[in-house]
Amino acid sequence: MNAPSRADSGLADGVAIVTGGSRGIGRAIVGTLAAAGMEVVFTYLGNAAAAEETIAASPGAKISAKAVDVRDSAACSAFVEEVADRTERIDVLVNNAGVIRDNLLGMLSDDDIRTVLATNVEGAFNMCRSVLPFMMSKRRGRIINISSVSGEKGGRGQTNYAASKGAINGMTRSLACEVASRNIRVNAVAPGVIETEMSKTVRELAGDQISARILLKRIGKPEDIAHAVWFLASRYSDYITGQILSVDGGFKME
Amino acid sequence: MSTTNITKEEIAAILPKVSETIADALGCDAADVKPDSSLIGDLGAESIDFLDIVFRLERAFKVKIPRGKIIEDARGSLSEAEFEKGGTLTPAGEQRLREFLSEVPADRIKSPVKAAEIAKLFTVETFAKMVIRQQRAAPAA
Repeated sequence: MNAPSRADSGLADGVAIVTGGSRGIGRAIVGTLAAAGMEVVFTYLGNAAAAEETIAASPGAKISAKAVDVRDSAACSAFVEEVADRTERIDVLVNNAGVIRDNLLGMLSDDDIRTVLATNVEGAFNMCRSVLPFMMSKRRGRIINISSVSGEKGGRGQTNYAASKGAINGMTRSLACEVASRNIRVNAVAPGVIETEMSKTVRELAGDQISARILLKRIGKPEDIAHAVWFLASRYSDYITGQILSVDGGFKME
Repeated sequence: MSTTNITKEEIAAILPKVSETIADALGCDAADVKPDSSLIGDLGAESIDFLDIVFRLERAFKVKIPRGKIIEDARGSLSEAEFEKGGTLTPAGEQRLREFLSEVPADRIKSPVKAAEIAKLFTVETFAKMVIRQQRAAPAA
């Protein structure tokens, strides 16, 4: 029996869509799936320069980018159709696009609540609704939602974000039930504190306290998440669906 | 929207492609897909298959079919309250449904009709009629 290897992941020549691929965890996911031989099309909201950097980071890889606001269901569906018309297959969808607007609940504005829920939750719904028909008709597909440790455990100043990630976890489990008969697996990766721009403020404010709660005693790297996504996209996870995989170095709350 | 003026010729013209699409989606033998086959009862379709079938029909005929379109069309000009009450079709709703699903043998529509079970009545021809209505509503771009 052969040991699992990157070259044998079953991903080569497949097509992946990754939302929010211009920076941070998304960029690492794009690079990792492209390195496995996939064609990767990623979305970004507005930072075209960062999107270009993601593409430049993987010379020779089949990576392209498109500005899509995942909150816009019509834009998502037009984007997915465009990709599917060209590639005639969508093997993997990674719902990674997400935002934070941390503050104490009493301080949150309407916009802080709506923006986080619309991007993190509705965005994932929009992309799933657009991609699923293509996966269903092929009788094969894998969806990986990027959740968060906040989805399961509480965090001060993160009611909106935690609610959005809790929603993603529920959606992941339920959608897995709906589409399992079509050979589509749906899982989530729940990152802990990862070295990205998004977590910069919290790391600066409470870096020592955070590290003290991580069993592995280090902040995670975007690649740590990308590797888990690779696993859930690959054939090595063929018997896994409806799961939320924590990739947080063993994060302990107070 | 009136459906009485969809002609037999119009339906016959697209039935082969509709049947083939449905057979592909359900993974069944094309010979088993007859115009009056009930998708759920005869062909073993599940609710998730309707999504797949509608999606494939959209691609095959280059039409847009909003989700839930057949049920919405079935109600016609009746309001939801006029169409059903407590999950069961009103007499007016049932009459409207019989007109709308004229392709469904009358004895398959057993009174009282539960709203949630309308989809069980759909036949291959029901989907052909939906495609024709959508083709008329928005001619292929």
